[in-house]
Amino acid sequence: MAKLIIDDLHLSYGSNEILKGITATFAQGEIVALLGRSGSGKTTLLRSIAGLEEPKKGVISIGDQPVFDAAAGLNVPSEKRGLGLVFQSYALWPHKTVFENVAYGLRLRNVAKAELQQRVASVLDGVGLGHLGDRYPHQMSGGQQQRVALARALVYNPPVILLDEPLSNLDAKLREEARIWIRTLIKRMNLTAVFVTHDQVEAMAIADRIVLLDGGRIVQAGTPEQLYTEPVSLFASEFMGVNNQIKSRVQDKRGGYVRIELSGHPLWGKDRAGKGVSEDATGVIRLEQVEVVDGDGENRIPAELETSVYLGSHWEHVFRCGDQTLRAFGRPLAAGTHWLRLPPEQLWVF
Amino acid sequence: MNRATRIAVIVAMAIAVLAPIGLVVYQSFLDGPFFQPKTAFTLSAYEFVLDDEDFFDALYNSAVIALGMTLIAVPVGALLAFLMTRTDLPGRRWIEPVILVPMFVSSVVLAFGFVVSLGPAGFVTLWFKGVFGFVPWYLYSKTTLIVIAGLTHVPHVFLYTSSALRSLGSDVEEAARMTGAGPLRTALTVSLPMVMPNILYAAVLVFFLGFELFGLPLVLGDPEGILVLATYLYKLTNKLGTPSYQLMAVVVVAIICIALPLVALQRFLLRAANGYVSVKGKAAAQKPVSIGVWRWPAAAMITAWLLFTVVVPISGLVLRAFVSSWGEGVNLLDVLTLAHFRELMEFPNLTRGIVNTLLIASVGGALSVGVYTMLNLAAHRWQSGWTRLMDYLVLLPRAMPGLVAGLAIFWVFLFTPFLSPLRQTMIAIWVAYTLVWLAYGMRLVSGALLQIGPELEEAGRIVGASPGRVSRDLTIPLVKVGLFSSWLLIFVTFMREYSTGVYLLAPGTEVIGSLLVSLWGTGAVDLVTALSTVNIAMIGGGLLLMSLFGKRSHG
Repeated sequence: MAKLIIDDLHLSYGSNEILKGITATFAQGEIVALLGRSGSGKTTLLRSIAGLEEPKKGVISIGDQPVFDAAAGLNVPSEKRGLGLVFQSYALWPHKTVFENVAYGLRLRNVAKAELQQRVASVLDGVGLGHLGDRYPHQMSGGQQQRVALARALVYNPPVILLDEPLSNLDAKLREEARIWIRTLIKRMNLTAVFVTHDQVEAMAIADRIVLLDGGRIVQAGTPEQLYTEPVSLFASEFMGVNNQIKSRVQDKRGGYVRIELSGHPLWGKDRAGKGVSEDATGVIRLEQVEVVDGDGENRIPAELETSVYLGSHWEHVFRCGDQTLRAFGRPLAAGTHWLRLPPEQLWVF
Repeated sequence: MNRATRIAVIVAMAIAVLAPIGLVVYQSFLDGPFFQPKTAFTLSAYEFVLDDEDFFDALYNSAVIALGMTLIAVPVGALLAFLMTRTDLPGRRWIEPVILVPMFVSSVVLAFGFVVSLGPAGFVTLWFKGVFGFVPWYLYSKTTLIVIAGLTHVPHVFLYTSSALRSLGSDVEEAARMTGAGPLRTALTVSLPMVMPNILYAAVLVFFLGFELFGLPLVLGDPEGILVLATYLYKLTNKLGTPSYQLMAVVVVAIICIALPLVALQRFLLRAANGYVSVKGKAAAQKPVSIGVWRWPAAAMITAWLLFTVVVPISGLVLRAFVSSWGEGVNLLDVLTLAHFRELMEFPNLTRGIVNTLLIASVGGALSVGVYTMLNLAAHRWQSGWTRLMDYLVLLPRAMPGLVAGLAIFWVFLFTPFLSPLRQTMIAIWVAYTLVWLAYGMRLVSGALLQIGPELEEAGRIVGASPGRVSRDLTIPLVKVGLFSSWLLIFVTFMREYSTGVYLLAPGTEVIGSLLVSLWGTGAVDLVTALSTVNIAMIGGGLLLMSLFGKRSHG
């Protein structure tokens, strides 16, 4: 069942168009990541859902109830939408204790004192801060503040919880832990969650589904696997992983594959953009798909090892082939020329 | 606040700002007081004023004095700011709080201080004459007036330049040093050019204040008949025997016409200056520049300035309040007395004035801060034509010096039927004070409001609070400290205010400032110095409270 529906949403600041027609559906119990670079409109979209920005066109519905409909002149104010939002800066009120920060939403809903006590305590327990209710926000670490912010957004059981770059203020180690516990918590409570991030690893780790945005439009939406293994465009492929790029020209086409070349060596790759013969094209292959092999063969090229970088779990090699550079992962290699295999099904031509 | 409340507040403010100005402009085109039944539209008042030599004399004097004091205050203030913020000057921590004293003491009180210390029969004058046998200065000349006005306005320049210099990161200076520039070259080619917009702003501000000057020329210019615009207006009241409202209105219109472009220019420069700030380097820990042996002449210069603008006038004034007589051959220790203060207590209007001043500063100040907060909340986080309108409206009262605003409010209370019973109450005074300090108070409060991030309020909306509840539960509690310190500043400001109450002075509306102006006219020097001393003590109390509070909120 669709919990949150966004239909053809447009928003601009003056003449600057930020959202250029966003349509998306979010199902009950689903965690969705809005992924994009800064300026892609992802935060603006989240704030529009929250009612903090006013789009100029489109419809937003929560459950069956429209909360924004430009054509009907409907714009339900933020406080009436009943959503939960975790701010990037956490936005904890410095003059209230942790307990009061969390309790405020319940007080506004006139919850009786005993029930309020019990609900705040249980949600604080849920985020692992049951014993810290008397503290003030500034007496807590960044990770704890983030948990308070989440507790504050969860306490009144919002139908949808929104998270704006929830992990960006944590250090690298904490972030990896937080990814897991946030996902576990949201899944356990069976909540619908929308979160904004610019980090594709974070998006893949937390989300059931990713909506990739660029320039105010949706580029691709799907499961993390779909976005990683079947990017629909050069942008999507670049955004989701670390790639080698081969600038070339289409030489030949056959059965869903096209032939390009890298400094004279022919390479077959999947036809992903329908480019015609002798059109400019870009071949893209993930670093981990490039294999170092023993000798010549189909889709193999010779390349000079330029340098190797030790990354702990593996080595990253940088090869030179004509005027192009290719990178690959692997075991330590001796200097000199090596053969590289670029599997045709993994080489995408856009 | 919802949209309707916001608009209502802005409209109320528009009426409060525009009514006095509208009434003045209307009056300036009449041939008699506006409340008389038979008045006709005419330009005769303009003809009279534009034919009056005294008016052009006053205009010329105002221009010369404003220019002269700017030329003195800007270099001294900028140099002072550089020395205090960027160098290893000895005793910086002690000097800093004293520098701002001339801003907090009312200029009419300072002027009295100069008279009793440096006037022809002043303490310092007599002492100098006794030692050297001659006196090389004459207090009542235009040059002296310019020098005194210039030196007492140094703090304004200091304040704006030093805060800019402080927000300038050391890194930009260190970068210049690394490239090979010496300390002096760094100051001249990097530090000062970077704060130039702020210095320029301070210069326009001082020039503008020069045009508004009232207390200093009233006391120091009068003996030689040196008139400036404000004192010309003040004298005009009695010039034709009967109150000549239309003539006063014309002068007021003239003053506003001069002031308004200057106010607009200040606003423009302030924006330019603030734009500059954001591109400055990181304001990390600053390392003072060593100026070597130059420290001592620099310290001596600052001490001389402080001695002249703070110590001499104020100590002279306080001393004068405690002696019965003085002159050549009089040992001051023999003539110490409390008689002037006892005399003060015998005049009910003077004691009432002291109580009223305390009330207007404390209760009135708090109410004014409340008004400024309401106005700020009305425009808070709202981009619309209404808030832009408000931005411009706030500037209008800035263009009215206290004397002028007091007069305009007096007329409004005279003119409006349901307000006229309140004319002779402190309410009229409070309205005038609140209006005169509108721009200043609005800036104080908005400074406090800008400290809180928008997401703190958005978070309130998200969890279900209406805009009104967000203001009540989140915004106001968060700015409480800021509002309290705004109140302290307004307290001191209302305490020292002297010109706004002049036209509103009546039994029941006495405040120390306006009483001082009128007492000075009667020549009651004993009472004037005693009352001034009381005023200084009250301001001192306010400043003490402020520094205690400042320490606590920083600790």
